[in-house]
Amino acid sequence: MDLSFSEEQEMLWKSARDFLANKCPKTLVRQMEEDAKGYVPQLWKEMADLGWIGLPFPEKYGGGGFSFLDLVVLLEEMGRACLPGPFLSTVVLGGLPILEWGTEEQKQNILPKICKGNAILTLALTEPSARYDAASIQVKATTEGDNYVISGTKLFVHDAHIADYIIVVARTAKRADPEKGITLFIVDGKSPGISTFVLRTMAGDKQCELTMDKVRVPKANILGKVNQGWGMVKKIIEWAALAKSAEMMGGAQQVLEMTIQYAKERVQFDRPIGSFQIIQHYLADMSIDVDSSRVSLHKAAWMLSEGIPCTKEISVIKGWISEAYRRVAAQAHQIHGAIGFTKDHDLELYFRRAKAGELFFGDADFHREIVAQQLGL
Amino acid sequence: MDFRFTEEEEAFHKEVQAFIAEAVPPDWLGVDPGPEEESREEVYPLAVEMWHKFGAKGWIGLTWPKEYGGQGASLWKEMALLQELAYRGVPGMDLAIAQADLLLNFGTEEQKRRFIPPITRGEVKWAIGMSEPNAGSDTFAVQLKAAEEGDCFVLNGQKIWSSGAHHAKYQVVYARTDPNKQLGLSVFIVDLESPGITMRQITQMTGIPAFCEVFFDNVRVPRENLLGEKNGGWQILLHAFGAERTYGLFIIYNTKRYLEQLVQYCQETEVNGQPLAKDPLIRNRLAQLAIEIEVGLNLGHELNWMATRGISTVKASSQIKVHGAAVAQRLANLGQQILGLYGPLNEDSKWVKLGGRLRHTYLSAVAFSMAGGTSETSRNHIAGRFGLGLPRK
Repeated sequence: MDLSFSEEQEMLWKSARDFLANKCPKTLVRQMEEDAKGYVPQLWKEMADLGWIGLPFPEKYGGGGFSFLDLVVLLEEMGRACLPGPFLSTVVLGGLPILEWGTEEQKQNILPKICKGNAILTLALTEPSARYDAASIQVKATTEGDNYVISGTKLFVHDAHIADYIIVVARTAKRADPEKGITLFIVDGKSPGISTFVLRTMAGDKQCELTMDKVRVPKANILGKVNQGWGMVKKIIEWAALAKSAEMMGGAQQVLEMTIQYAKERVQFDRPIGSFQIIQHYLADMSIDVDSSRVSLHKAAWMLSEGIPCTKEISVIKGWISEAYRRVAAQAHQIHGAIGFTKDHDLELYFRRAKAGELFFGDADFHREIVAQQLGL
Repeated sequence: MDFRFTEEEEAFHKEVQAFIAEAVPPDWLGVDPGPEEESREEVYPLAVEMWHKFGAKGWIGLTWPKEYGGQGASLWKEMALLQELAYRGVPGMDLAIAQADLLLNFGTEEQKRRFIPPITRGEVKWAIGMSEPNAGSDTFAVQLKAAEEGDCFVLNGQKIWSSGAHHAKYQVVYARTDPNKQLGLSVFIVDLESPGITMRQITQMTGIPAFCEVFFDNVRVPRENLLGEKNGGWQILLHAFGAERTYGLFIIYNTKRYLEQLVQYCQETEVNGQPLAKDPLIRNRLAQLAIEIEVGLNLGHELNWMATRGISTVKASSQIKVHGAAVAQRLANLGQQILGLYGPLNEDSKWVKLGGRLRHTYLSAVAFSMAGGTSETSRNHIAGRFGLGLPRK
């Protein structure tokens, strides 16, 4: 057993932390919450040049050929910096499914664009039921000659308003088992009939209502096999949950560190509040949440990278950190007092993101159910 | 990064599993780690038998030097063994292990040669004489006096909460040799059959008489039984705290066994025409406990790794202790909820479920956040200079 980072991973997180500290100040984070696009194209390009966007894709498509664990190392730093933008959507929700199930032609066409920073992707999965189950997939795709025609509404689609390609999860056959008859399509984000509306949310992330009115998609754009899409969706949910856990990890770590710092500096009753046992014990409990999350995150990411089945381990970390990060952020507020409750303080950025992250691709209840299945219940 | 065990580790793990499968009855539900449950009449003979068997296998003091009967093995091997024993609830690993660790670090050559080999052979049991009525978490408040008289020290005073002392041959006694609170403690190896010692067993909330109160009335301890320097006990005391580092992890392995028993119970027990396992509330709660156990075990992997690399484990071990005790208590409570009215039944009832283990641990787990350092003390360690670096004042 060796739980240390490789030299490459050390370099990756250090350079990511420096770069983001420099290029992604909190002023930018706040600005992007209000921005229509929600990301800075110039910064996106620079990230592509650094090889970040192509990180997990093979070199032959212009990527870096790194593992999911390496990606997790980078995502932790992005979460620490509250980096706005469509990184997770493009790389994890869009790029990885194409790499895993795309035809060679689909891969040749799209992956190099992703790696170069020339294509933004996302996944249109959830609908107004707001749940991650198969029965919720009601948007229909019907055949018409060489095309499928898709109509219906997807909701809470991250970054759809700027997406060049949207992987749409649609129902292509009605079966007794709701998990059957689902197909994934790679849809051009600029196709006629597509309209997006950005929802205003607590964390200022760009979740969209995506309306599709008779959107025509060539059969060549089917991702994977017709009517067998749900198995793919389950995998994507796992990847997304793990990637989001990594972002949350970075956020939780940052919150813990800034709160320890604050407790050392803030003087009340003629002594730093961090010298009071109650504050020390709050922070001790926060550190348990943070440190147990980190090793559990790395274990799941390592297993995924090694090709070891890790459905349970992914749900363990997402089920755990969903609540741990919220506890850490809430306790951090209590320790900071009024100053942390102000809009000018960084802490509120993390508190809002902790909740958004919790709900993204399965909250703790969702993942506890998966763990229950894995226990044989 | 690599979470895999080596082939050697896997092989040893299998060896331990095979040993356990033969050594305990097939329907063995397990006991909590530590000396407490060994004080049950029906468990003690098995504990003694296992202690001998561990000795014969060379599993006591795996990491100790060969000259004292150890195996000179690396730390992971010992951790793998102790963790598997805790997971399967096998009794017998004695507190003597941690005491021998003190002897190895602070003992004279003569003490090591005299006291350690009988431990490695699984022949004698040891107890700890640390707590007193007025020295609980404030360990340095020890009052038991040791007065120097010729080639002896004469001990007067009392120890309390000494688990399993009634079965032990020796007790490591922390005594006062100088009024200076921190720099006035000395440590003695005391033969519990010495004249002047009386002992009283105290029954714990579980119904098991595992605690001992030990009274010292002019007990003469030969000078050669002084461990370390006179007034140098503080070093030994701090080292002893460090040696408790894996207790929290044992608690989590122990809890994992209870969880698995509950899962099986829920699969096999029907309520309203369907297995309890199908009840969404029960699924959710059991899964939450499983997650809490899993992240605790992951912290344990990190702890083991840090220990083998010589990285300070003060913070990690204290985190595991706090987490493990809390998880064990939640599991115990959930177990009672799931068993419902069957939960509180005594072990000997013909109606009892899961051997009454959930009744036992509902009570025993209360002590997990106290034994081996309270959760509050552990949080102090996490926050302090070996952890988060928060100021003392």
